[in-house]
Amino acid sequence: MKKLIIIFSALALLVFIRPVLGLGQNINAATNSSVATTQVDDVEEDNIVNKAVDGIKSFYSYTGFANSTSGNVIMIFIGIVFIYLGIKYNYEPLLLIPIGAGVILGNIPFVAGNQTGIYETGSVLNYLYFGVVKGIYPPLIFLGIGAMTDFSSLIANPKLMLLGGAAQIGVFATFLGALYLGFALPEAGAIGIIGGADGPTAIFLSSKLANGVNILADGTTVKNLIGPIAIAAYSYMALVPVIQPPLMRLLISKKDRKIKMKPPRAVTQKEKMIFPVVAMILTLFISPSALPLLGMLFFGNLLKESGRTERLADTARTKLIDIVTILLGVTVGASTQADIFITKDSMLIFGLGAISFVIATMGGLLFAKFMNLFLKGDNKINPLIGAAGVSAVPDSARVVHHEGLKSDPTNYLLMHAMAPNVSGVIGSAIAAGIILSFLA
Amino acid sequence: MTQILLYTDTISEGYVILITGLLIVFGALVTLAVFFNYGLPWMLYVYKIITKGKDKKISEIKVKGDSGFTGEISAVIGASVHMYLSEQHDIESGILTIKQVKKAYSPWSSKIYGIQNRLKS
Repeated sequence: MKKLIIIFSALALLVFIRPVLGLGQNINAATNSSVATTQVDDVEEDNIVNKAVDGIKSFYSYTGFANSTSGNVIMIFIGIVFIYLGIKYNYEPLLLIPIGAGVILGNIPFVAGNQTGIYETGSVLNYLYFGVVKGIYPPLIFLGIGAMTDFSSLIANPKLMLLGGAAQIGVFATFLGALYLGFALPEAGAIGIIGGADGPTAIFLSSKLANGVNILADGTTVKNLIGPIAIAAYSYMALVPVIQPPLMRLLISKKDRKIKMKPPRAVTQKEKMIFPVVAMILTLFISPSALPLLGMLFFGNLLKESGRTERLADTARTKLIDIVTILLGVTVGASTQADIFITKDSMLIFGLGAISFVIATMGGLLFAKFMNLFLKGDNKINPLIGAAGVSAVPDSARVVHHEGLKSDPTNYLLMHAMAPNVSGVIGSAIAAGIILSFLA
Repeated sequence: MTQILLYTDTISEGYVILITGLLIVFGALVTLAVFFNYGLPWMLYVYKIITKGKDKKISEIKVKGDSGFTGEISAVIGASVHMYLSEQHDIESGILTIKQVKKAYSPWSSKIYGIQNRLKS
């Protein structure tokens, strides 16, 4: 230990003694030859101090403190709030924490031109963001979701599939709202899909429609709205436990909330295997533009249900989806660079997103009530599960379950709610395909 | 994809997309629902005929599996299996000392032989 201290102090002495003896003069003269000629007369010590101050000044001009704007500070604060919400309230922490960290990363102020920022070509973040811009990550996420999802409750009770369709009213209503607010058609389509409550789908569609590259019919370039749309979709997905319960209590009477549904029948393995293949073919024939999403979803499910590819399914639903979620979360977060993100459009998108969630939930709930008019006795469905028709897997199903338990502690709705929940995923992907085929 | 706009007014085109879009989404899901309600039992019936050759009516084919075995029961079994497999913690010793590895002496790995036995030129 003693030796170490002696060596260090000797080194320190050497370093500090150099300028005092004028040994450093050569280097300074070489680098600042033009300046040196004018400053020959200056006192040597003063010169060194000046240069040191200059160096610190130029260093300071590169730091975040010198370049920060109020927008950066606000966005960093929002990032911290995201992380706080994820940790404290457990609102989708797997999404909110990467996104929150990404928001902080993306809003560290920097001097442009050093390939640091996410929007500068050649920067590392820009390469990772490529997967978002080109819509590569969403299908991979869907593969994982497919390998995780159990469609058996849907196969057991196919009529619940309609609830997933009903919640897509939110998508189209928001689309219309965005049109009225003056967004162009493709932009409105991308904003509308927030109502599908499906982050990957929203990113996929906005990367195809509102990517800042496509050229509209009237010759102007479409706006880049991927960042705001993705953030809106994911943050509202995380806020499902806050948004949905009041609507459920508002629309569904106490008596209806207590309806017990009969347990779904057991589904044979053969049916589970046939489901992904048939559903893949049918849905893709109807909406071929949804191929990257639905194709991967059902492919993942086939891996799971075939019983022969457990290894592949296991990778898809654990490692692969984790990797893609990390990259997606961070880059989507980082894409909220303040000078690009804080605009009037973003605020409008956030407003529309909230409305679309409300409409989608109401659509599902009301359609479930409507279906109950035609169903008798044992077959009646609990209208609460309509709210699970917005995808947000599996959070909205969980919310439905909790609400059901509040009115009747013995009423377990989770299994039933999963059916509209997964059909909501299918429905929103089909809706995305339709919007894409209309507007791309 | 090039698209010829039928309507110059974006709002009215929006309505067109709204209606057709909703119809298609519903249509797709209804098709799926109908298929799995009626088509699948029929397919399973055909499959059974092909494999076993028994002549049965569609109504005789049980898609129901075991009616007593409900989803709730399978959920309970699944939960308990999951708890058993992944929720149990085994206690590990917290000692992280590196153990000295002792090797038995072997002339095969001995250096001294390598030094002494040189090739004779």
